[in-house]
Amino acid sequence: MRLLLLTFILLPFFGHAQTRFTLSGYVKDGANGEALIGANIYVRSLATGTTTNVYGFYSLTVEPGEYEIVFSYIGYSAQSKTLNLNESIRLDLELQPEGRQLEEVVVSSEKELQGVKSLQMSVNRLDINTILRIPAFLGEADVIKSLQQLPGVSTVGEGASGFNVRGGSVGQNLILLDEATVYNSSHLLGFFSVFNPDAVKDTRLYKGAVPAQYGGRIASLLDVRMKEGNNKTLAVNGGIGTIFSRASVEGPIANSQGSFIVAGRRSYADILARPFVDILNEGAALNFYDLTGKVNYNLNKQNRIFLSGYTGRDKFFFDKNQGFSWGNNTGTLRWNKIFNDRLFANFSTVFSKYDYSLQFGENERDNFRWKSSVQNLTFRPAFSYFINTNNEVSFGAEANYYWFEPANAYGTSNGSRIDISLPRKYNLETALYAGNNQKLSQRVAVEYGIRFSHFVGLGSGVQYDYNDTTAGTRRTPVAERTYSRNQRMATYQNLEPRLAFKAELNDVSSVKASYTRMAQYVHLISNTTASNPLDVWTPSTNNIKPETGNQYAVGWFRDFGKDRTYEFSAEAYYRSTQNQIDYIDGADLLINQYLEGDLLSGIGRAYGLELYLQKKSGRFTGWIAYTLARTELKVNGINNNQWYATRYDQTHNVKVSGFYDLNKRWSASANFTFVSGTPATFPTSRYVIQGILIPYNAEGGRNNVRLPAYHRLDIAFRLEGKTVKANGKARKNSDYWVFGVYNVYARKNPFSIYFTQGDERVAQGSPLNSEARQLAIIGTFIPSVSYNFKF
Amino acid sequence: MVFTRIVSVIGLKKLTYLLPILAVGVLMACEDVINPNLQKADPVLVVDAWITNLPDSQKIFLSRTQPYFENLLPPAVAGATVTVTDQNGVVYSFIENKPGEYVWVPSGSNTFGQVGLRYQLQISTGGEIFNAESVMGVAPPVDSITFYVQKGNQFVDDLYLAEFWAKDPDEPGNSYWIRTYKNGILLNKPSEIVTAYDAGFSKGGNFGGVQFIAPIRRSINPFDTDANGNFLSPYQVGDSVFVQLHSVTEAAFNFLNEVAVQTNRPGGFGELFSTPLANVSTNIRNAQAAGSKAVGFFNVAAVTGLGRKFNSLDDLTEN
Repeated sequence: MRLLLLTFILLPFFGHAQTRFTLSGYVKDGANGEALIGANIYVRSLATGTTTNVYGFYSLTVEPGEYEIVFSYIGYSAQSKTLNLNESIRLDLELQPEGRQLEEVVVSSEKELQGVKSLQMSVNRLDINTILRIPAFLGEADVIKSLQQLPGVSTVGEGASGFNVRGGSVGQNLILLDEATVYNSSHLLGFFSVFNPDAVKDTRLYKGAVPAQYGGRIASLLDVRMKEGNNKTLAVNGGIGTIFSRASVEGPIANSQGSFIVAGRRSYADILARPFVDILNEGAALNFYDLTGKVNYNLNKQNRIFLSGYTGRDKFFFDKNQGFSWGNNTGTLRWNKIFNDRLFANFSTVFSKYDYSLQFGENERDNFRWKSSVQNLTFRPAFSYFINTNNEVSFGAEANYYWFEPANAYGTSNGSRIDISLPRKYNLETALYAGNNQKLSQRVAVEYGIRFSHFVGLGSGVQYDYNDTTAGTRRTPVAERTYSRNQRMATYQNLEPRLAFKAELNDVSSVKASYTRMAQYVHLISNTTASNPLDVWTPSTNNIKPETGNQYAVGWFRDFGKDRTYEFSAEAYYRSTQNQIDYIDGADLLINQYLEGDLLSGIGRAYGLELYLQKKSGRFTGWIAYTLARTELKVNGINNNQWYATRYDQTHNVKVSGFYDLNKRWSASANFTFVSGTPATFPTSRYVIQGILIPYNAEGGRNNVRLPAYHRLDIAFRLEGKTVKANGKARKNSDYWVFGVYNVYARKNPFSIYFTQGDERVAQGSPLNSEARQLAIIGTFIPSVSYNFKF
Repeated sequence: MVFTRIVSVIGLKKLTYLLPILAVGVLMACEDVINPNLQKADPVLVVDAWITNLPDSQKIFLSRTQPYFENLLPPAVAGATVTVTDQNGVVYSFIENKPGEYVWVPSGSNTFGQVGLRYQLQISTGGEIFNAESVMGVAPPVDSITFYVQKGNQFVDDLYLAEFWAKDPDEPGNSYWIRTYKNGILLNKPSEIVTAYDAGFSKGGNFGGVQFIAPIRRSINPFDTDANGNFLSPYQVGDSVFVQLHSVTEAAFNFLNEVAVQTNRPGGFGELFSTPLANVSTNIRNAQAAGSKAVGFFNVAAVTGLGRKFNSLDDLTEN
């Protein structure tokens, strides 16, 4: 296997004795100097080409000769160059955005990435213009909420953190912001995500067929790339919304040899309430903020550096001593190096931290303080070797050092202080990968790669052995081993092959297939309906085995209509997972030294069909996404050891998004969501113990019924500001208003149905009342208005 | 679980202050009582056997599960034979007093059981035998009860709260069920289930040999609302409070916590943090493993207690 692979990777290096020359360089946006990701470089006479990488770099090696080369990117005027390649040429090029005729939504440049011609499948890509158009909750454009409009992506409901991809849990998504892991992607529980749309350039969600370069989570990769900042002129963007305001500044530095962007947001319900609510002056707080920044500098033609960072925090304080807060901090230092015109490298050093703290107790004699965090420091060299037009080899490595602090906590009771901290955990995750993207013919391409990942727990620390007991009940430690500093503890490794294949049937249709195996060594521990900020990340240990997943996908892609206005795709996937984590009933997950005794392990299977029809141009644009899916787990100790549907199993998931230009200034957008009922567990019976009414399910099943279906319509209208002043001159500034209504017909969509005894105090000996209550997190329509400007 | 408990214990009163800010969120959320169809199920035996060393009649209740929406007293299981035997072979017979209620009455100053002894419950009914086991643990004395005021603000009036003081024994591994009576009425809502492992909330907390931590000491305050939904002061001048510490086994401690998780459903955004509905544990075992199931719990508790009346505002101490 390994030998075969090696042969495959090395094969393209041989047999090309002939002299060849290389055209390479960067493709950028002519308006602001931003690198264009996935721009097309096409050699007409050879009917072949390449695309720019995530830094906008391309390299094309051909036999000597004169070529007409077309540079194109959706939404930009294409440029054609005739070049005489009798030597290698470096060509950095800027493409100009197409003039604003009717402000037409370009849904994405998926033509290159996702469509018929591309090798890549199972990718959802949204550009920021689309994200800004989708009607949003409280009018705030949101990256993650927008992704949920696409096939294969779902959520357990409003207010829930994160998202689910092809049957994966929230913690099985690798979320990267400029390559830094984002451990919790949510603000205000899950109503908003941490990504400030003003600073986001490109968002790509890999639901499968993840390149070998990436690993560490078994469901998906959300790759969010930040803007570099305008290197032509100083620009200010901002918005005033219903719940928070945003502002960003970007501009050139050092004679346009570099640029920067700084973007911030803050919610202000508390600021507005301050004059009316005394306790806010006594330290109570309810807000969130984030700050995103990036700077880049061209050292010379071969070297460019980027520094980017994010800090954000949510605060929820009852007074100055009591409450909780959580936030992410990330920092990424990148160095792009062009070793030669065919070898591009990027070296990234990344830091990421997620922490939360919780404290209560009004005075020093009686209090409780708890801090928890997960941090990692990563070094990641990545190389792309552009061998010829038919082979692009990528290889690299990754070293990831983690330190987990599950609980740095103490309590004071009537003056006696007790340390209840749990020991830190240290881990090293390393990986090597190599892959080749190879065109076998004009119509057939294949990408194959392999990733070897390794994970080790490092001392100091303690490992526990737990007893064997009835499945589904708490296990207790029977033995422990202590490890000294840096001593190796549990060790795991995995080979993760990746394979993708494309065959174009004709000019307008293709079939694709892929296989992806991934391993996950750090786990999000969460047994609540929705993931929440106090969920803990924990590493694999002798008791927690790495989660692994295999995904097989096939797809059919078809363009039709005049100018390929319509694009259709159908993808089917099957995913099997091992060592999925579940929890005993009544598990105690927080500050629990013996947490592992409360965890269960099982297998999962998920399969589905995703249909996607998109209209890409015209006054009316939009898409319909339909997903038919099943996601199940089988865990000893749950549901009588039988398969059961997960909380986020959604049989039918329909999303319709439409955008329509009414006239030069007004445009309308709408989205409709229909999701068939998600599973829930209902009781059959009741009984009373010591005056408390307890629900009982005679079969001991999990998720034995379905909630009613969820459906919702949102609309938004956008009014562009005037483009000319009263005196007829063009305005330098631009602005627009967005008026929206979320949940237009005010449906009370069920988030959950729960069973409880009545709230009243019942005298002893009287019967207790039992009821079922249906909760809608959003029980009404939510109007919003926001004003956005740019100058 | 810790999260919801912390919010419920310390947060509840403070949360009310933030209501005006949360109003947007609270107004958005919406709850309706519904009547879903539930699967039918055969009834099983329910054993409610929480025996103490208090000088009262000790009762064991036998009933059957009933359909979830049947808002009636549970059907009694009459005609059973119920005994509790200690590890020395002493047998306590529980005699049926009325259908489903089996009683052992202490004679003279003789109360049930002894700290440290192991007890075996045996129930014979319908041709089947059910067993359960418990050990009577220790309960430290309640040293005192104090009252304090939490000053009101523009949204709430002054609140008068009670706090009990007790110190967990030095030897770790004790667990308790704290039960409070206000004016003689047991505080027995699901939200009022209070347990302690040593002096803290959970085994992992490692609070041992100290005063019970503040959220537990102050867990004896009922937060009721008036007809308009305003919070009432937990205690007012003239009210009395009586606090009991029941020693429970670790299994019973786990059971009570599971019951709290399954029954204390504050609704609203709290549902985001809820866990799936699951059956709580039981220590009742059918002597024949293949026999019919039973639910419920058997625990033998040592109980300590202390009461105090809130006579006047002079009773208030510094918080």
